[in-house]
Order: sequence, then C-alpha cells, then structure tokens
Amino acid sequence: MDHIVKNFEGRPGRTAQATCLLLLFCVLPTLLTAQALDPVLETERPVPVLTGNAGFFTNVTSGKDELVPSINPVILLPLGDRWLIESRAEFKGAFQRPDGGGSYGGKVEQEVDYLQVDYIANRYVTVTAGRFLTPFGIYNERLYPIWIRSLQPTPLIFPLGTGSSDGAMLRGGFSLNPKVNLNYATYFSTLSTVNKFESDRTAGGRLGFFLPGPRIEAGASWQKELQHERSNAFGFHFAWQPTALPLNLRSEYARSHDGSGYWFEAAYRLSQVPFWQKALRLTEVVGRAQQLFAGEISEKEAEEYGLPDVNTRQGDFGLNYYLRDGLKAAASYSRRFNSDGNMNLWTVGIAYRFAFPLGSVGPQ
Amino acid sequence: MKTRLTILTAVLALVSLVYAADPPHKSETASLVVPSAHNTAEADAMRVHGEQRYRANCGRCHAAPQKFPPRMMATIVRHMRVRATITDEDMRLVLFYMTQ
Repeated sequence: MDHIVKNFEGRPGRTAQATCLLLLFCVLPTLLTAQALDPVLETERPVPVLTGNAGFFTNVTSGKDELVPSINPVILLPLGDRWLIESRAEFKGAFQRPDGGGSYGGKVEQEVDYLQVDYIANRYVTVTAGRFLTPFGIYNERLYPIWIRSLQPTPLIFPLGTGSSDGAMLRGGFSLNPKVNLNYATYFSTLSTVNKFESDRTAGGRLGFFLPGPRIEAGASWQKELQHERSNAFGFHFAWQPTALPLNLRSEYARSHDGSGYWFEAAYRLSQVPFWQKALRLTEVVGRAQQLFAGEISEKEAEEYGLPDVNTRQGDFGLNYYLRDGLKAAASYSRRFNSDGNMNLWTVGIAYRFAFPLGSVGPQ
Repeated sequence: MKTRLTILTAVLALVSLVYAADPPHKSETASLVVPSAHNTAEADAMRVHGEQRYRANCGRCHAAPQKFPPRMMATIVRHMRVRATITDEDMRLVLFYMTQ
C-alpha cells in the first residue's frame, strides 16, 4: 500500500488530469448529439429499478465449514432516452467457528463493484464514466452474479486482470453483417486509494465477435498497467450455445504478471431427458476443468489477490435446480491439486435474483 | 505523460470519427424506444425475430427471466445493452418481444 500512496502523492497533477478527463467524457457526447429527441410514450418510459441478488451458501474447505450470506443490490436509474446511472454494491459475510469451538463469527465485506454513468451516444458507442467493472474476459462483467454463475466457486484465474476500474470507457456492439456482430470496450483507469473505490492506473480493451446463428462468441482482452511493473496482461474468451442442445460451453484464458491459466466449463440443462421431465427440465449439471500457473508474486500478494501461490489444477462438478424464475438451489464439489496439499471444496446453498420498480409502472 | 496524452487523443479521435461517420438522426433516436409495428403480420414477424435475438443474446449468460412490465423492461434492456454490448437492433427487437 505504501508504494501506491507514494506513487499517488508523487504526482499531484494526475488527480486533476483524471478529473478533467472524466468531465470531458461526460460533456463531449452531449455536445456532439445535442438535439431534440422524439417523445416517448409514457407507458414506455423507463422507470428506476432496484434489482440484484441475494444468497446463502455453506462452503466446506478441507473439512472446515464457512457460512457465506451475501446480497448484491443493483440500482438502475435511467435519465431521458440516452442516459443510465447504475451501481452495484456487494455485502458478503464469511462466518466460521473458532478452532476451539463456539458460535460462528467473522467479517462482512462491503464493496462498490460499480457506480457509473452511461451515455448511449449512438448505435456504435456508449460512453461510461465513473467506477466500472474492468472489461477483461467475460466472467467479471457478465457471469459473476451468484444467480447467473453455473458454479459458485469462481475460476482460479478470475482475479487476473479483473476487478473494478475508476475512469472512463467507450464500449458498444453493432452488426458487421447479418451473420457477425462485433463488440468492443476500451478504457482508461486512474489510480485511486479512496476507501471502497480503489483502482489501479491501467488502460486496456476487449474485442469480441458474436455469431448469432451458431451462437458462438470469441474475443480477446488486453490490459497495460501504467504503474508498478508496467506489465501487460492479455486473455481470450470463447462461448458456444449450440442451438440443438440446452448446452452452454464457456472458456477463458488469461496471462499476466500475477499468473496465467485457463478454464473450460460445460453446463447442460436436462430438459431433453425423456423421463422425470417435471424435475429434470429444471435441473442443470455442470463441469469445469481449470489450471493456474503461479506468477511472479509473493505468497502475501497472492493471498491478497485471491490467487493460489503455487501451480494448481482443479476439477469442479455442480448441480443447479431452478425452483422458479430467479431462484435456484446450487451445489458443487471441487477437487484441487497442488503442492500445498490436495483438498476438497464443497458448496451448497441458494441464490435469488430480485427486481422491483422504483416508481409507477402503469397498467399491466 | 506521453502515454496518457496518446490514449486521450486516440479516444477523442475515435469518438469524433464514429460521430462523423454516423451522426444521430431522427430514426436512430426513435430506435431507443420500443418500435411500433404497422400491422399484425409485421408485429408477429418482429415478435419471432425478437424471441430469436432474446435467446441468442440473453441466453449467452443466464436462464430466461420472466417478462416484466414495459417500463421496467425498458430500463433492464438499457442496462443489458451496456453490460452485454448488445446491438441497437437486437435491443429494440428484444424489447418488443418482451413487452408486446
């Protein structure tokens, strides 16, 4: 932390520059597109929404159990036809019994995952400013919420290149032709040591292609650290949802100074099994194989980032049961292999996605 | 310093280029709201396309959610347009499918 503070204090002009950059990003699109918009019917006007997820999981790692309640509220505040203010926070408990026995105790982590202003400039560009999820790979931005992820344990390489960034971003998606969509995100993040809004000074981007016909998505991410070792990170992602099967295949690869590795995941919904249809169509089986190669970081840094400090292989198996819309029960078993000692990880619990309007939605 | 100036210049150049290539016009601003169908056949076709886009885009990450009221859905689709970099056309058709 000292070197971050030193770096921050050693360049006092950078805060002002970053602020100017943010303001520029906010103001520029408005100047570019200042014109009257078509009126929107009152019944179609977006209303503020409170959504998010809550969950309660029990994790057993090498025989030691841990209770993990969590809630991630998301606020969506649309303004006019082009603006959106959105924010997600995380409150996550980790409660364990003391070694000598006794009642569960522990800390509740609080994080601001994102607090951003989005401006839809045109069909190609959305300008985002504030604190946002770092667009590196697909897991961090799209698969992280517990009601979405197929397996509750995050991939071993998840901390590489991800997290949150404070700065500005341009992103968008558009059709190159009827068979190919292109999506991109490029950003600059400033150094911040503000409590709950910590971020590193980085720049990076992601470029992806989506083929809507076969439902194949592939892309690459890049990140340049503009402090410390000034190292580069890059990654690749791939996803495929075959139209003939209720199957979801996903994979990511990441390489950085802190480590490298990959994961492959397959999630299969048993809706095509010809027997016990009532229960099996709501059931999903999941498997994941993953490997991490430890990077050039100390044991302490690895622990801080949530990375194993030695080369690690892991196999994960999971079972999800969708009780109703937004509510699922999930269980998983993982076997981890590394030189620190092999271990079993069990997870069982429930995840719920909620969504409420914060205003009148009119007649249904 | 040079690196940051280069990044800033590149970003601004990109914004300007995109704007110059496709300045917002009336039909585009209208596309930010639910499109209207002129007859039943057109509405049915849009609904079919909307369902296809919905399954292709939303199904990439999560199971199909229930349909929410139109004003709520308009907010959620705008959020997902940013989060999942969904195209403008896909967003309009998904919104039509989810609300009409």
